[in-house]
Order: sequence, then structure tokens, then C-alpha cells
Amino acid sequence: MNPWSVAAFVLVVGALGPALWLGARGGPAQRLVGLELCSSVTVLVLLLLAQAVGQSQFLILPLALVLLSFAGTLVFTRLLGSRP
Amino acid sequence: MNPVALALLAAGVLVVVASAVGAAVLRDVRARLHLLTPVTSVAGPLLGLAVALDGGWTASTGQVLVVVALLAVTGPVLGSATGRLLAEDEEPSP
Repeated sequence: MNPWSVAAFVLVVGALGPALWLGARGGPAQRLVGLELCSSVTVLVLLLLAQAVGQSQFLILPLALVLLSFAGTLVFTRLLGSRP
Repeated sequence: MNPVALALLAAGVLVVVASAVGAAVLRDVRARLHLLTPVTSVAGPLLGLAVALDGGWTASTGQVLVVVALLAVTGPVLGSATGRLLAEDEEPSP
């Protein structure tokens, strides 16, 4: 295991776990905060995994995720809002 | 591995884990929202710099820096939008 894969493992256990827990508890807005944390941590984990395996073509995954999660979260904030 | 890159990697991981655990411990959702910012604006650039220092200036390093920059730019926008949603939830209904 290289330092990149160790870092990715630590992020999955130490950050993605609490983020998933946050995303499963509370009201809709509270779960949305957990979803945002999940997305950000997953982008970083994918970056580290691409670096760990040395495959630069895998970098398209975090690039796609950061764009899609941005649009998706904005849609969630719009749909959960009380104002039309 | 470059020791500076290793230090930046460790610092970035530490910031992310501390923010996530802190967000899980805190009760107030606004305080949780504040803890998203270090992940996107501090840990992301730290990890991007670690990749750049370790791999040199290549096309894949540029792609990593683009991802990290997008994360840093979109994070505050999402935090602001979520904050507005939380404020709407707390407003008394007419």
C-alpha cells in the first residue's frame, strides 16, 4: 500500500462514515448537509485512488462527480425550499 | 515520495477527518454547514498540492488541480444555497 491508498482508506473510514451517518439522520435540510459532505469527501477519495493506482484516466470520475454534485445539490435546495 | 507532499497529504486528510467527525458530533445544523468549508477550501487544495509536488507538472496534475479548484469554487456556493434553505425553514409561515 502506498501513502495515497492509505490516505484514501483513512478518508473512507474516518470521513465518509460520519458523512453517511449525517446524511441518514434528521430533517431534509440536515440530510442535505450530510449529502454535501459525502460528495466532497468522495471527490477527494476518488482523486487519491486515481493517484494510488497511477491511472490518470480515472481522474474523469472526480471531475464528473464535482460537476454533477454541484448541479444536483442546487436542485435539491430548490426542491426542498418552501418558496416557489 | 516527497516529504513535503507527504506532509501536505497528511494535513489534508487530517482536516477532512476532523471536519467530518466535528460535523457528526455537533447538534446545530448551521455549525455543521460551517464545517463543510474546510473540506472544500482547505483540504482539497492541500491534497492537490501534494499531488502536484509528488507527480510534477503533468497533464494529470493539471486535471487534479482543475478538480480541486472546482471543488473550492462550488463549495461556498452550495453552502450559501443550503444556508438560505435553512433560513427559509426557520421563517414563520404567514
